[in-house]
Amino acid sequence: MAGVLPWLLLSAALFCTGLFGLLTRKNALGLLLSVELMANAVNLNLVALGAFRGDLVGQVIALFGIALTVAEVVVGLALVIQLHRHQKSVDVDSARELAG
Amino acid sequence: MTWGAWMLPLPALVLLAPLTAFALVALIPPLRRRGRVAGLVVVTGSTVSLLAAVSLLCGQHGLDQPLSRQVWRWLPSAGQDLAQVGWLVDSTSAPMLVVVGLVALCVQVYSFSYLEDEPGPALGRYFGWHALFVVAMQILVLAPNLLQAFVGWELVGLCSYLLIGYWWKEAHVGKAAVKAFWVNKVADGGLLLGLVVLVGATGTFAWDPTGLDPAVLTAVTLLLFVGVMGKSAQVPLHVWLPDAMAGPTPVSALLHAATMVAAGVFLVVRAWPLFEGAETTLMVLCWFGGITAFAAACFALVEDDVKKMLAFSTCSQLGYMVAALGAGAMVAGYFHLTTHAMFKALLFLGAGSLIHAVGSNSMAAMGGLRKQMPWTCLLFVIGGLALAGIPPLAGFFSKDLVLEGLMRSGHWGPFVLCLAGVLLTAVYTGRALVRIFWGELRSPEAHPHESPALMLLPMVLLGVATVVVGFLGAHFSVLVTGSAEGGAFHIGPVGIGGLVLALAGLGIGKWLADGGSLSALAGVAAQIASSPLDRFYETVWRRVVLVAAAGVAWIDRYVVDGLMNLVGWASLWGAERARRLQTGLVTDYVAAVAVGVVVLVLYTVGGL
Repeated sequence: MAGVLPWLLLSAALFCTGLFGLLTRKNALGLLLSVELMANAVNLNLVALGAFRGDLVGQVIALFGIALTVAEVVVGLALVIQLHRHQKSVDVDSARELAG
Repeated sequence: MTWGAWMLPLPALVLLAPLTAFALVALIPPLRRRGRVAGLVVVTGSTVSLLAAVSLLCGQHGLDQPLSRQVWRWLPSAGQDLAQVGWLVDSTSAPMLVVVGLVALCVQVYSFSYLEDEPGPALGRYFGWHALFVVAMQILVLAPNLLQAFVGWELVGLCSYLLIGYWWKEAHVGKAAVKAFWVNKVADGGLLLGLVVLVGATGTFAWDPTGLDPAVLTAVTLLLFVGVMGKSAQVPLHVWLPDAMAGPTPVSALLHAATMVAAGVFLVVRAWPLFEGAETTLMVLCWFGGITAFAAACFALVEDDVKKMLAFSTCSQLGYMVAALGAGAMVAGYFHLTTHAMFKALLFLGAGSLIHAVGSNSMAAMGGLRKQMPWTCLLFVIGGLALAGIPPLAGFFSKDLVLEGLMRSGHWGPFVLCLAGVLLTAVYTGRALVRIFWGELRSPEAHPHESPALMLLPMVLLGVATVVVGFLGAHFSVLVTGSAEGGAFHIGPVGIGGLVLALAGLGIGKWLADGGSLSALAGVAAQIASSPLDRFYETVWRRVVLVAAAGVAWIDRYVVDGLMNLVGWASLWGAERARRLQTGLVTDYVAAVAVGVVVLVLYTVGGL
């Protein structure tokens, strides 16, 4: 248990950093980076717990997670480009067409 | 019978012939717009209907078995059918079928000439309603149970409304039609309630239910009588009948003298097994009839409008019929219905002929018409003398039977009222006859002229019937009850007394017409006649019915609808507040997701 705890704490710190970024950034690219941080925190968690269990399951899932993150980044970057084309800016606070 | 099995049964023919005429006129606009062609179609239908009715009456032998009875299931319920629909031709309905058919045909033929100046479309509509009326009336007469009779009853009420309102563009005509409709509706409420009570107590709408509790029987018959009072214009629900004279005169002759207003009397005759056992109801009938016979005769005495005078006279004669029924003299009442239908239709057609010639309803504008209109004069005098009860005309025999029935029953109050009514009837009839036909011409500039043959022919037919029908009392009684006792005429003190009263009345009438003034009396009587009652009904209408209706409308608008509106308003209000949550800021959504995740995690961990 003691061996895995630092890794879990590191993962939690990474996740919280990502969440903080997600909540405070206004730049769309910054948001994407924050999401990336959170995803990697999860991957780190998976690998650490997999090592703790002593099998390869955690690593396999982490690999899948990385692949998914890549796909997500592709979509996210495409969205950022479209946002920039749409309003000459990547500031997400200026995209408020859906306000009620 | 030579009438082959491949043909329609006769009662079906009675109904289907006018119904076909009505359907043709109603559904084929080009036919309707050519009013006279539509009239020919309708008259053909009525002729076929009358011929079928006559052959039914001739085929009616004995009481043991109805001549024709055919019913189909209607309103099936568990166990037995609640009601049936079809026809019942027996000794009660057969004479009425002929009366309705005969008067309807006469009136429709007469209408051709009387309404010849009317535009085609209006005339087509008129004849269409006439055909519908014949169907409705025969549905009522042929009804095998009370429910079908009620359907016919409402339909004739509708036809009455439509035909009174024929000249609806004049304000007072429309008002008269609506008044007739509503007064009848009020009375029909009683009838409907009676039906409900009857079916609640016995589970059937049959004419002769058995095992009815005496109290329930009294209640049912009294409620039915409320409907009869409206339809047959008994005091105090008579107020619609004089106003109904706003319709064309042939309509007044058919609906408001001969057939429709007699439907109330016919209903009592038809439901005689019910009424026979209800002592209290019969006494109520007797008194209402007596009061109506007397009061309406008083009103007729002071009326100058010839049609309204005849309308009050109709009320009065219907009072005789109701009083006779109340006295238990069913045959007398029914026979008086038959004779009255003939001579009163004749009188109305005669009045139409006079109005046609003079161009006014007022008897003050007539006078001295004996020379100009000899045929109308002869026929009108025949009708008038029959109304007054002079032998050997029909009215004498039937009225004598009514009076004898009343005397035998021992209801002295109604008997005296009816005797006084005989005198008054003769007075107003004599006065009207003298004022219209004798004296000098009062409107020579109008050049009154005899009516065309097409108008005189139906009147001659009815005139002959008026002379002949009176002698058929015994036959009629045998037909309806199986014995001649109720209808056979024999000279008795009542008959002689009645005749003396009638002759005296005619004399007084002549004296009044010749110069004896009624004006003081007339003022008072006209006041009593209908205005206070009309005012009372109007007050009830405005202060009670309309106020109650406004109350119901308020509840509907603010409570029932209000509840719905509240729900809608609350949704709108909530949505207006909830839409503020949608800020459009991505960050806010992320924060909401994060908070949501935290809450869920805490909930799950806590729950574990």
